[in-house]
Amino acid sequence: MPNYIRNGLRSGFVFGIVIIFLILIGFTRVANELLAPLVKGTSQLPMGFILFMALLGLWAGASAAKRSPVLMGMPDTYQKWNAIISGLIAGIIGGAFVGLFIFVLGSIQTKGMDMRVYLAQLSPDAIKMLTLGRVAWAGAFSIWLIFVITGIAGGLLALFSDSFKLGERMSSSWKNMSAGIGDSAIAKTVNQNAVVRYILYGIFIIILLILPSFLGKYWNYTLGTIGIYIIMGLGINIIIGMAGLLNLGYVAFFAVGAYTVGLLTAPAPQGLHWNFWIGLLVAMVMAAFVGWLLGIPVLRLRGDYLAIVTLGFGEMIRVLVRSKALSSIFGGPQGVRDIAGPMIFGQRFTEREYLYLIVAVIIFTIFITIRLQNSHLGRAWGAMREDQTVAQAMGINIFRYKLLAFALGAAIGGLAGVMFASRNQYTGPEDHTLMVSVNVLALVIVGGMGSIPGIILGSFVLKGLPELLRQIEDYRLLVFGGLLVVMMIVKPEGLWPSKRRQLEMSDVDLPPETDALQVLEEQSSDQKLRGES
Amino acid sequence: MAETSTSEGRKKSLSTYQIAQIIIGVLFITYLTWRLYTVLIVEGVYGPDTWLRFAITGLVIGGVYAVIAIGYTLVYGILFMINFAHGEIMMLGAFAGYFVFEALNVVIIDPINKVTFSNAYPVLAIILAFLTGMIVSSVTAVTLERIAYRPLRTAPRLVPLISAVGASIFLQNLAQLMFSPQQRTYINPQALERGAGWTVIVNGNNVVIPYTGAFTFIVSIILMVGLYLLVKRTRMGRAMRAVAENKQTAALMGIDVDGVISQTFAISGILAGAAGVLWGIHNGVVNHYVGFIPGIKAFTAAVLGGIGNIPGAMVGGLFLGIIESVGPAILGIDFQLKDVIAFSILILVLIFRPSGILGEVLSEEKV
Repeated sequence: MPNYIRNGLRSGFVFGIVIIFLILIGFTRVANELLAPLVKGTSQLPMGFILFMALLGLWAGASAAKRSPVLMGMPDTYQKWNAIISGLIAGIIGGAFVGLFIFVLGSIQTKGMDMRVYLAQLSPDAIKMLTLGRVAWAGAFSIWLIFVITGIAGGLLALFSDSFKLGERMSSSWKNMSAGIGDSAIAKTVNQNAVVRYILYGIFIIILLILPSFLGKYWNYTLGTIGIYIIMGLGINIIIGMAGLLNLGYVAFFAVGAYTVGLLTAPAPQGLHWNFWIGLLVAMVMAAFVGWLLGIPVLRLRGDYLAIVTLGFGEMIRVLVRSKALSSIFGGPQGVRDIAGPMIFGQRFTEREYLYLIVAVIIFTIFITIRLQNSHLGRAWGAMREDQTVAQAMGINIFRYKLLAFALGAAIGGLAGVMFASRNQYTGPEDHTLMVSVNVLALVIVGGMGSIPGIILGSFVLKGLPELLRQIEDYRLLVFGGLLVVMMIVKPEGLWPSKRRQLEMSDVDLPPETDALQVLEEQSSDQKLRGES
Repeated sequence: MAETSTSEGRKKSLSTYQIAQIIIGVLFITYLTWRLYTVLIVEGVYGPDTWLRFAITGLVIGGVYAVIAIGYTLVYGILFMINFAHGEIMMLGAFAGYFVFEALNVVIIDPINKVTFSNAYPVLAIILAFLTGMIVSSVTAVTLERIAYRPLRTAPRLVPLISAVGASIFLQNLAQLMFSPQQRTYINPQALERGAGWTVIVNGNNVVIPYTGAFTFIVSIILMVGLYLLVKRTRMGRAMRAVAENKQTAALMGIDVDGVISQTFAISGILAGAAGVLWGIHNGVVNHYVGFIPGIKAFTAAVLGGIGNIPGAMVGGLFLGIIESVGPAILGIDFQLKDVIAFSILILVLIFRPSGILGEVLSEEKV
């Protein structure tokens, strides 16, 4: 089978399946709403949906035509036909999948069956949109036609972009972008020039000081949540980013912090009524202690085991605090209410003052993180992370340093928990689900492990964006999961990686042995050159 | 000689870890003995009939754990990575089985007596459900390997693990968006109705052995034996073992390593799908979250038996199932806390015997 036909088939197949899944998860409906402002839709025709389909068809055709190799020395017409045929095939196949699927849905719909019982997103309205408000076969056929036409157009587009070198330019700019904000000129100046950096920090802090007064309660609250996630990101960064220990149960420490302060200051179920600040200190110590205690048995294990045990531990804490048997201690499923907070002039902190407090805590944590990074501790952790055996041979007491990383990371997690619980004046088992751990992990990975600006960026991206894009909120976790996979494949060092981590991770791209040898040779030749001069 | 000198050195000064190990061990054994003594001799609240009931529950759930655990162990044995999304693969299989039963329940064979297909031909219906579940899970597993794991094969260990976590979240939310978060009830054929079973009289009390339980246990045993034979006796199994031993050497011997890895994922998916349908038939409810806890438990079981070791996964699964059902009674705690017991067992095993019950001591590289 010629290459261009196979590429067309493959692209059509992949796009067909993906679009069926998009329909099944109801994303087509959201796309219709999002794209509707761009084109003038009528009440009869969902133009947003049609545009969405057309764009996907273009993409399918283009990607099919792109894969076909450019044959040197072949006449232009030949290539043109190649591109058009792959685009056409992609359109026909992809459209056939989607059209058939829509036809089936439409026919079932006309029989009067409510598919929502089984597939949640297929409401009658959604199916009406899919069939463009017509009879099943007509709607399916129109979609198919749209797909075929846009498929051909996509093939042509790929061809033209090739001849204009558009594709290369696009891909190179994409590469630049994906090379990370960390590589851009601004970031370089920020990284290298200390004065610029401090000025920027200063401006940032001033903005932070002024901003909350102008924002409403809602945004102060949201920013506070982002801030709490930044604190947690910085905490888990000590465990994962610095010491290289994968912890999937970070929420456990968060929960210990939240519950300790809750139980110490709330009127029920313990009725201790402690001062908030004492509670905060005790909570941090308690979290560190729990981290240390958990660390003793599990830190002997490497990577994967550690991940699962910590994950299990996170779930265990939630099960324990929720259980009815222990409700006299932890308050059971209802959680702990009326948790005390810091006072100012006899008044509880408002959302705005909490934001200030959280920012102060973030700055404190960043300070600690930077100091740790540059201390002998940070270096020991770095050595351990890169090669445990070598680090051990260098006389680093691995076990002790790992415990320390766990305890410190846990203390900061506990601090975040205290902030969270006292701001909400409530904490319950459902605040401490696995998703918290996953969110924190995701923001550190997306932002760039071991990089403070990366973590801040990561929390704004992962916690802030969904607030702005309410329509896609349902898809947040789905995108999260996909993003983690894609990040690991495309850019495992994160959006704004630290210099050191970038170097470490770049090893990944080197195929074993040969390239490493080449690099070594180049280095030695460099040294020779230097020696000669 | 070097070995003797190090072991002597160790004998002289115990590390913090070893001291902690001894203290935890002594405390644990003392507590366990005291509890056993209290429950069995002093209080004697539970008669033999109750213990039998616990054992049945444990064996059934343990069988399912074992089948899932084999999937983890197979993949771990070959790639040294935890396929974190395995539980979600099982969940998709459970959903597939649910839809088959649902569809076959709509098809009416005998309109007069309103006999549905799944009641008229229960064996066929069950086979269909299993086949669909296995195919769905297997295709998911292979696709997942192709998209999320294969590009990362040479990456540092954390990278594929995070990718697997991402895949797990992705699949879970995909299922939630597609099928809605509501809980769904399996419609079993009447022959396998939940709650019904043989009644045995022990100690003057009725003990019910549920049909679904017996069915689940037998099917899981058949799956385990089948898999064991597959790995030990067939050409494919030999190729898998060769790849597990050493990928490069296997490739030099003319084995298609990528193909074998795909096959391994396909088999682990088949087992997960079957486990999902078994879970649905026995427990009756399916939702998008149903794969998570069994997934973690099965991983625990795999570690318990020695990860990478197939008989170990079977033993570990059954052992974990029994511990989970008997544990709360022995320790005298709430039955809600059985998950806590499973994780505590995991931690205890990792303290005292990280290689698991049947596992050999793996080299540093593999662990």
